[in-house]
Amino acid sequence: MSKKYERVPKHKELSHVPQQNVGPIVSVLITTFNRRRYFAEALASVLCQNYRNLQIVVVNDGGEDVSDIINSYNDPRILFINRKENRGQPYSLNEALAQSHGKYICYLGDDDLYYPHHVSTLVNALENQTDCQVAYSDLYKVLCQVCPDGSRKVLSKVIEISRDFDRFFMLYYNHVLHVSLMHRRDLLEKTGLYNEETTVLRDWDMTRRLVFFSDFYHVPEITGEFYQPAGKCDRISVLGRKNEKEYTRNILRIRTTRPAKPWMKLKDMSIIFTAERLNKQAGITLGSIWQRTFYPYEVYLPMPAESLEKLDAEMPNIIPVPVNPLSSQDQRIDAALAKCDGDYISIVPNGFPMREFWVEDSLHALINSSANNEGFELEDSTDKLWGVVLKKEDLQYARRSFPNLPVRESLNAAGITIRRLNPEEIPFQFDQLLEKARTAEKNGNWSKAAEMFEYITKHHQNELWMKSLAANASFKAGSHIRAANLSHEINRQRPTVDTLLLEAKVKREQKEFNSAIKLLEKAEQILEGKELLWI
Amino acid sequence: MDITQNNVDEQHDSTQHYEVLQELGDCYASVGNYSQAQQYYEKAAVLSPDEADPYVGLGVVALQKNLLDDAEIAFRVACRLNSNCAKAYAGFAMIAQQRVNYKQAFEMYLKSLELDTDNLVALLGLFQTSCQMGSFAKVIYYLEMYLNMHPGDTSVMFPLAALYMKDGKFEESKNILLNLLSLDENHKDAANLLEEVEHSLAQIKQVIRTGA
Repeated sequence: MSKKYERVPKHKELSHVPQQNVGPIVSVLITTFNRRRYFAEALASVLCQNYRNLQIVVVNDGGEDVSDIINSYNDPRILFINRKENRGQPYSLNEALAQSHGKYICYLGDDDLYYPHHVSTLVNALENQTDCQVAYSDLYKVLCQVCPDGSRKVLSKVIEISRDFDRFFMLYYNHVLHVSLMHRRDLLEKTGLYNEETTVLRDWDMTRRLVFFSDFYHVPEITGEFYQPAGKCDRISVLGRKNEKEYTRNILRIRTTRPAKPWMKLKDMSIIFTAERLNKQAGITLGSIWQRTFYPYEVYLPMPAESLEKLDAEMPNIIPVPVNPLSSQDQRIDAALAKCDGDYISIVPNGFPMREFWVEDSLHALINSSANNEGFELEDSTDKLWGVVLKKEDLQYARRSFPNLPVRESLNAAGITIRRLNPEEIPFQFDQLLEKARTAEKNGNWSKAAEMFEYITKHHQNELWMKSLAANASFKAGSHIRAANLSHEINRQRPTVDTLLLEAKVKREQKEFNSAIKLLEKAEQILEGKELLWI
Repeated sequence: MDITQNNVDEQHDSTQHYEVLQELGDCYASVGNYSQAQQYYEKAAVLSPDEADPYVGLGVVALQKNLLDDAEIAFRVACRLNSNCAKAYAGFAMIAQQRVNYKQAFEMYLKSLELDTDNLVALLGLFQTSCQMGSFAKVIYYLEMYLNMHPGDTSVMFPLAALYMKDGKFEESKNILLNLLSLDENHKDAANLLEEVEHSLAQIKQVIRTGA
């Protein structure tokens, strides 16, 4: 039997919250399953929003009854779906979306919290600061200890990620927390709903589809908290990720998902795979393309019909192009090209080595190249196994102009330069530097790590996040003054518990106790949840 | 960069909140607001019951309030949580010193310094009890070691210079005092001691000259 619900913020108590009654309707979706205690706080954090024009859609996904909590508010903005059967989060979210009517949608986990300015901050960004249709803010990750009575003892609050939008990275993996996300509702008509077959990384499944249609606007303000219990985690999503096969299967499904066109913010890539026939080697190369390609693609297979009959029906995004068995390789490429839908074309021979980023390295250079008539050889390309990525219009021009020449020669004759990418054109430079700095940290090489974080701060955006890591590494390296200066810069702009603590430690060393106390008390207020108005 | 490396068990800093509370306790203790310090130490102890430092803080606060029994209990808890807690032994020493048990105080300061040669409180306490007992055998070693690690620490320079003088090492004493005065020219005790040292050196020179 459910515990009686006791802790309800009364409307009277919330009346001191500065309120914003005008603006578009925002639908806040909360799905809950057996987390009564935390759900009550999550819901309270929505009701405490200073932005009042809300529709709050709550779905009980077949868990403990929470209707007493809902009823205790008697708030007409809440729409409650009390389902008895457990159908999973994607199903519940789709159910909530079907009932939502806001211009904007945002999401809250049943054990997470919004600060009172969360919705207003993101609405303000989307309405007044940007043309983007998606915005996100930063959140504290709260490491907590769950007590026997279910209460949570806060051990730390850290900003684990505060990354500016990076579309290329979002195609590869997620860098936006779902709880921090707000997007226009009508975008779902283009992205489609949540994939109910996806068991893990469901958030990324949706955000990845959103990047096809909109840029994301990053508001580097802390507007909420998501919770992680110390020790063993009972989150369904975390447990699901521990199953390696399942995890990989989901990644592949998400990466190969292609929402319906037109895509406003992304150009498609067509891969023309050249193989004499569908033999074992061709099967291996095709399998590798499937597993190793994260940029949206379709593979065109110009092959004799009898070969195409052997195709694995499970393999996604394959377009068979039946050709005459006696046709040359160049003729086959021309046949595929005539059907290709992508703006970028990659030609890949059978047996081409497929490492991670096999095509994205060169594709990234192509996307960012300002030169006309330029294509890129794939990095592992050789004369024997020659692979390329270029704009479709360039390949079409070369083939139209010189149809009788082999592909490479026709490109040359048409004045299309095919070159290798330069080191500065490699994608994910920020991530690679970040990984190196993290490795230096792990090895205890703090001064090297600090130096790298400061370098990244200067050259690769994400300033607050990198500066904060630089401050921590500097402190550990013994450069306390540098750590204090960096922390001070951050604290003036957007104080966090970590940077307040660091600056305070140095103030204490300098015997400036009263300044240290001020900083520490601010940190303590955040840790104690003083932003949460009902506490 | 490999997302198949699926670090879902990666745990992050779990001591941050504890550190904030402990730092607050230490800062309030430093400005003499012992009741606030006590509150924060108590909170820190509740949040991280396995940490010794909050109990050291509570012991220090009790000492400041002259509640020697309470202080002793707090330091005992700290020692139980961390048998190598140098600060707790320094705490025991201070209690013993207050109870005029100089022998025990000396032993506890010494134990504290064995565990942490960097502990200034224990070092100065050891010097004090040595003065109270009139025995300086082990003090010079620890003062020298500490000064090697903290060459600009004026609070240790003076006792060491005094001990050198007492041992007849006038040149060493003079050098330290000159160094101390270059860092703190208003240190009156150092200036007075330097005068005495120089006088002693002059006397020695005269004796040598006379002898020659």
